[in-house]
Amino acid sequence: MRPQKPGPDRIDEEIAFHIEQQTAKHLRAGMNAEDARRAARIKFGAIEGLREGARDEVRGAWLRDIARDLRISFRSLRRMPSFSAATILTLGLGLGAAVAMFSVVNAVLLRPLPYPDSDGIVRLFQVSERGNRSNVSGPNFFDWRDGTKSFSHMALMSNWWGRAPITGLGEPRRVPSLRISREFFDVFGVGPARGRLFTAEEYATQQPTAAVVAAGFADRVGGPDALGKTFVLDGHTITVIGIMPREFDYPVGTEMWLPLSEEWANTTSRTAGNFNAIARLARGARLEAARAEISGVSRGLRARLGEGAVLVDAQIMPILELMTLTTRASLNMLLAGAFLLLVVAVVNVSNMLVARAVQRRKEFAVQLALGAGTSRLTRQLLAEALALCLCGAVVGIGLAAAALRAFVAIGPPGTPRLDTVAIDWASASAGVTLAVVAAGMLAWITAMGARSRTAASALSDESRSGSAGRRQTRLRQGLIVVEVAITFVLVAGAGLLARSLASVLAIDPGFRTDNALIVDITMGTQTDEELVQRARRQADIVRRLEELPGVEHVGLIDSFPVGNGAFRNGTFLEMTRADEFTNGSQIQELGSALGPRRGSAGYRLTNGGYFKAMGIPLRRGRLLEDGDAPGAPHVAVISESLAIAKWPGQDPIGRYIQFGNMDGDYTGLRIVGIVGDVRELSIERAAPSIVYASFVQRPRQAAAAAIVVRGPEPAIIADTVRRAIRELAPEVPVELRTSDGVLDAATGARRFNLWLIGAFGTVALLLAGVGVYGLIAFTVAQRRREMGIRLALGAHAGAMVRLIVRNGLALVIMGLVAGLGLTLAVSRFIETLLFGVTPSDPAVLISAGAVTLAAAAAATYLPARRAAAIAPIESLRSP
Amino acid sequence: MSKGIRRDSPDANRRDPESILQGTLDMLVLRAVALAPMHGWGIAERIEQWSEDVLALGQGTLYPALYRLERRGLISSKWGTTENNRRARYYSLTPAGRKRLAAEIDSWRRLSRAINLVLQAVEE
Repeated sequence: MRPQKPGPDRIDEEIAFHIEQQTAKHLRAGMNAEDARRAARIKFGAIEGLREGARDEVRGAWLRDIARDLRISFRSLRRMPSFSAATILTLGLGLGAAVAMFSVVNAVLLRPLPYPDSDGIVRLFQVSERGNRSNVSGPNFFDWRDGTKSFSHMALMSNWWGRAPITGLGEPRRVPSLRISREFFDVFGVGPARGRLFTAEEYATQQPTAAVVAAGFADRVGGPDALGKTFVLDGHTITVIGIMPREFDYPVGTEMWLPLSEEWANTTSRTAGNFNAIARLARGARLEAARAEISGVSRGLRARLGEGAVLVDAQIMPILELMTLTTRASLNMLLAGAFLLLVVAVVNVSNMLVARAVQRRKEFAVQLALGAGTSRLTRQLLAEALALCLCGAVVGIGLAAAALRAFVAIGPPGTPRLDTVAIDWASASAGVTLAVVAAGMLAWITAMGARSRTAASALSDESRSGSAGRRQTRLRQGLIVVEVAITFVLVAGAGLLARSLASVLAIDPGFRTDNALIVDITMGTQTDEELVQRARRQADIVRRLEELPGVEHVGLIDSFPVGNGAFRNGTFLEMTRADEFTNGSQIQELGSALGPRRGSAGYRLTNGGYFKAMGIPLRRGRLLEDGDAPGAPHVAVISESLAIAKWPGQDPIGRYIQFGNMDGDYTGLRIVGIVGDVRELSIERAAPSIVYASFVQRPRQAAAAAIVVRGPEPAIIADTVRRAIRELAPEVPVELRTSDGVLDAATGARRFNLWLIGAFGTVALLLAGVGVYGLIAFTVAQRRREMGIRLALGAHAGAMVRLIVRNGLALVIMGLVAGLGLTLAVSRFIETLLFGVTPSDPAVLISAGAVTLAAAAAATYLPARRAAAIAPIESLRSP
Repeated sequence: MSKGIRRDSPDANRRDPESILQGTLDMLVLRAVALAPMHGWGIAERIEQWSEDVLALGQGTLYPALYRLERRGLISSKWGTTENNRRARYYSLTPAGRKRLAAEIDSWRRLSRAINLVLQAVEE
């Protein structure tokens, strides 16, 4: 049976009883009541002191007194400013890094999106034969909707205009837009802040007459007055009917939502992924169940329609997960890096505290002798650690706030919700929690060192400092091993990221990025007549720019490579002659004979100048030429990888293909040339197969185009280019950029990760160096007498240095071995972030080890050399 | 380099030979409750009287000692009433406490005899 723990009530009652009895005794002795009570209290001693003393013995209750101990600890911190400053700064660095990264992860990955039950909003994808996630075709979407019960609302989205060029409302401008089908806003469960959403009629008509806009759009054109204003898009007048709440931002950056007719969408091709799909899980429906259901419907479609369904399966992904898909791994890695740095900081500080505990062991011994329990001592150590860590947390949160401002400014490109990253209550409380945990670790480690000596042995240990703290030294050696191991992990991680970045930078993207100016122009049209006219105007602009002084080549392409997300992929068909088909139904009649004639490629509209301006080499045949006019036979140039994939060992030149599902034109394209591959999707992904057709022969898809102007001084010609385009097309918004930034953006996230992990590694290296230095210096100081004797007996100073350095390096090497094991164990988690290098790359691991060892060796050498300089007599004389 | 005496921290049920004072206090408290259950004030009074007012207990240490001894299972306590019908906590010796007291007294006698021998030797 466990003895009962005395509660505070019991203690109070016993004290009251005691004083009562004592007072009664004094009264019996003839004192008056007042004096008797006072005397009783005096005899008893300070009541508060007794209560505390009594509670010392009450297990668990001692935390209550920590506030008082904290006050004492803060006072004692003030008494040793340099020690305090060093430890607080170290902890502040570690805590700051952890708090900053926690804030980022919380704001970007964890915090729910600002929509009701946002977890239930999912994106739906087709899964292609190759297992890729792909866009959705209209008919497949409607089969999904009819065949599933897991979703309460489903909507189609189309990037129809993309950055839609609007006029008639302020300056001509390109506005990020999205066309959406009828249930889109129901999926989010969000209504307009002002005005209204679309009516059923507005959703049913193919040509939009109304737009719902973002709060940011409204701000630019008169705030609430934006309602009812009109603008012109594609030659049609559109009225602003609704303004969404400011927090509504889907897809991120969209400023304008326009209706999309479901009836029309259902008539589009089943083989072309024209749409994105979004849905809301029905109340109570589980993600896994929904996934199974839609997957079943998709497999059913495949079984019924065969290759005509294109999809083989379906995939569901919550929108937050999709938004953070590319950043999740990086941010988790950075968070892990920050935590490792925090551990290094805590280990470093515990090292200092253990060292100090050795100096303070007489203080502890006196306290023990005076009756303080070991729990009392532990509590004092905890209070001191807590005082340090709380100060560290304050410093850390301050550092994190500053770091986050920089993070937001230069943060990894493409990080969603980056602007919302800041120190908030969540991150502050995370900081305090981490500080408390760190304090617990510190106190525990320090107590291990401090408790190892009993009062008497420490008190009597007057001068034999040579023997003092052997156990503490062993503890500190263990800490150094841990510190070096973790430092190695960070340094090796930085090394792997650096190798990855180098590999990425070494990739030939297939095009030149220097000395080129990119002009984004969008010219919308509707009728076929207008299409021809637009192509002619675009051709005029290209010709006009070619004539400008300082311009070498001018290219036009409907989608500029790398990271635009506008890579349209489709299925083409090889034809026997240019006019084999004139419509889609003829193709369907071929049935199973179609299979071997199919091929998959991206479809691009461009001109011959594009290849020259981009430095894309012509492998065989010819490029697109001016002679490939609308009336001439339609031609195409294909990428090298397509030639190899579709016509291995054969000559593609002279063959015909058709790409009717892309632009509705079933005229065959005669292949006239083969050009080099371009890494269009991303610099890190294999170059896709591409069919390049002429924008003047196939004008339909070329509404949004990028004009590439190559010249030796792109910055100087920028103004003339802008003026020239304005002259020819005054209503078209013009946006200029240089292509240097294109690849920078692609490698930006890598640079950022490397920069940050590199910084963590550097700080860890510094801390580990300080730790090693501190330990060796301490050992040397402890062994002064021994050194003195050795030197006096004729030991060579150089041998002494070697001895000390060897002892120090043995520790470091143990740490490196442990770190190597740790790195191999954890590096598979960052494997997805690596490129062209394996997590166990020997070159990286060896150089990381060399760097760490070099830093540690320097930290060992300095105190060792000082040891050798000890004058023997002096060291023997000193106490 | 001498080896230095190392010893682990005193755990709950072992006497800490270094803090003699504390050990003595424990022995005195155990002795005071050995005859009959007694409340805190009574224990202090008893020790004071028996020692002819030499050992005026530092009273602030009495209750911590009581709680410590109780936690170690050497004494037990329960609420009782005084002769004046006042509620008070009464402490009594457990069998373990009794054994411990005997051991303490034994070792104290040996120690004081040893000290006396030493003192006498010096005087001769």
